[in-house]
Amino acid sequence: MDLHQISLKLQAGKAKDVKALVQQAIDEGVPAHEILEKGLVAGMNVIGEKFKNNEVFVPEVLVAARAMNMGASLLKPLLAAEGVKATGKVCIGTVKGDLHDIGKNLVKMMLEGKGLEVIDLGTDVAPETFINTARDEHCQLICCSALLTTTMGAMADVVEAAKDAGIRDQVKIMVGGAPVTEAFCKQIGADAYTPDAATAAEVAVQLCSK
Amino acid sequence: MHELTVRQGTACTRLSFEGTPILADLLAEHGFPVQRPCGGRGKCGKCAVEVSGCLSQPTAAEVAAGARLACQTTLLGDAQVTLPEAPERARIELSGEASFRPLAPVSGRLGLAVDIGTTTLAARLLELSTGKTLGQAAMLNPQTAVAADVMGRIGAALEGKLALLQHQILQALEALLNQACQQAHRDPAEVDVLSVAGNTTMLYLLTGRNPESLSHAPFEADCLFGQETTLLGRRTLLPPCMNAFVGADITCAVLAAGQCLEEGPSLLCDIGTNGEIALWKDGVLYVTSTAAGPAFEGAGISCGCGSIPGAIDQVSAENGALQVHTIDEAAPVGVCGSGLIDAIAALLQLEIIDETGAADEDEIPLSGGVSLLSRDIRAVQLAKAAVAAGIDTLLETAGVAPEALTHLSIAGGFGSHLRVASAVAIGLIPSSLAQKVRILGNASLTGACRLLMDAAAQSSAAEIARRSQHVSLGGNPRFNHLYVEHMLFPEQE
Repeated sequence: MDLHQISLKLQAGKAKDVKALVQQAIDEGVPAHEILEKGLVAGMNVIGEKFKNNEVFVPEVLVAARAMNMGASLLKPLLAAEGVKATGKVCIGTVKGDLHDIGKNLVKMMLEGKGLEVIDLGTDVAPETFINTARDEHCQLICCSALLTTTMGAMADVVEAAKDAGIRDQVKIMVGGAPVTEAFCKQIGADAYTPDAATAAEVAVQLCSK
Repeated sequence: MHELTVRQGTACTRLSFEGTPILADLLAEHGFPVQRPCGGRGKCGKCAVEVSGCLSQPTAAEVAAGARLACQTTLLGDAQVTLPEAPERARIELSGEASFRPLAPVSGRLGLAVDIGTTTLAARLLELSTGKTLGQAAMLNPQTAVAADVMGRIGAALEGKLALLQHQILQALEALLNQACQQAHRDPAEVDVLSVAGNTTMLYLLTGRNPESLSHAPFEADCLFGQETTLLGRRTLLPPCMNAFVGADITCAVLAAGQCLEEGPSLLCDIGTNGEIALWKDGVLYVTSTAAGPAFEGAGISCGCGSIPGAIDQVSAENGALQVHTIDEAAPVGVCGSGLIDAIAALLQLEIIDETGAADEDEIPLSGGVSLLSRDIRAVQLAKAAVAAGIDTLLETAGVAPEALTHLSIAGGFGSHLRVASAVAIGLIPSSLAQKVRILGNASLTGACRLLMDAAAQSSAAEIARRSQHVSLGGNPRFNHLYVEHMLFPEQE
């Protein structure tokens, strides 16, 4: 079957259609990783690019990601059986003091859309939780989100905690959220700042493959 | 010392300044309100001005907007700015009960009840001996010039603008008092007591209290009021807030609705920039606040406007075409909140947009040059998803099926003009509640009046706050799931 159809339905946010087409592809014997790459991830890449260019907005991304998740749930056991490994492992959360997680969730979906494995630590995450998770789960990347000027300072604590734990050279740290800037990222010694979820996913893939 | 010349209509004002202020800040300081729905981040374009003189280079946001934005322009020296003429005053919701039985009124001659909304202020002057409304007054909250939303104002207060914010609101309170007294031909000196409702942050700013505890998790307010104080030299009742997110305005709305006097289970919503939701069941009042954003108030919508003459306030689909009504039947100038909901319901019905919110065209004309853009539809999706998911999360937490609710009370200005069928059609409220909706008007103000007219209401308000239980939506995985599900519009029948 034409996996491009899956990509198109995903871009349109038609979750039921995506699920049916993924099942059809599985039944026709298409390898799961190919369905993932050429169908689901390809579709999310288009959405991500359009989002970056302001051609689509948050709801489209959420609805497309919802469709992706519906399709991916069918593929998960098959991918494991095929021995396909994720392209990288990331932990993500909003920093201590911050409960605003809509942006963080969007980034998480875009990361998953790139085929990364994501551990979601939720909201109000203490620096040591980021660090312990990164160490114990062998994450290549920590993603920190903050929506408030009053809480973004906690991102510096995460960088410091990684140094104190002696894992700073093993893990990259990305920061984002409305008040965060490139200058702030440099100032606290984090590895990357990205202004939107789609760019975050692209940079995350680069950082994980280094 | 430099000078900024401000022209507005035929008026011309000269402001002197030092340093290099942001244009919007300087204007706001001198009482020229600047709309900043995006919080001054250069994203909404609502503060576009004609300005010339010694200015900073246009920022990327200004280049993108194709205009100078007051929130982005730094004054480097003498400059001249032309502001749009002062907009016609938007209609502010004053409806609600007009007379009260003086059961056990607080002592005094006249009392002023006030609702301090984040965006608008409303006041009602009562004769305490009879419970009659003698006058009323409304205005925009002058603090919007500093920041449009609650978090922005907390940020400003922490950056040293607390005194300014308090000064602004006290001045506005006095103006409301004078306006209402003038209308009633009474002497402001006869007003012996005030009753002031508002969300938690508004009461912090009113009383000049540092809102640091409201600025970060765990968001535990260090004061919930429910006390008396003195403002404008008068005895002032400040009803109790429930928590950092759900304030005295909702306590008063619940009081006005009599929600906790009924068997229940029942739901109360105040839909605005924040959607506050209260669910009464078995002696517990489950409450939450959900960030809907300003779309329902017409802000952040390309053609959005307040309830001004010419605002499209009703849209329906008839014989396959859109039918549009404007306030005062004036030529269309934009779309207000209720018109926006109607428009989307009609577009769904005509299948011009599908259940994912997608349309074939990026621009959908409504009437007379007013069009909805696809990003406007997206903004409504975000707003309605936040409210609908908030309602569902609360129902799930309390273990109540929507069909089991006896009714849904809708408080607040936006809700007063909302057409229930449209709200159901876009999925803002559950379809099973369509026949059970009660529109309350400004219930917060009604509740604040009750406090003046009935001493027992004060203990009822305290009891409401005591029985409240906060349900947190931030970081709640169930809410996040429902939020994405509600991003879609209901399938059309």
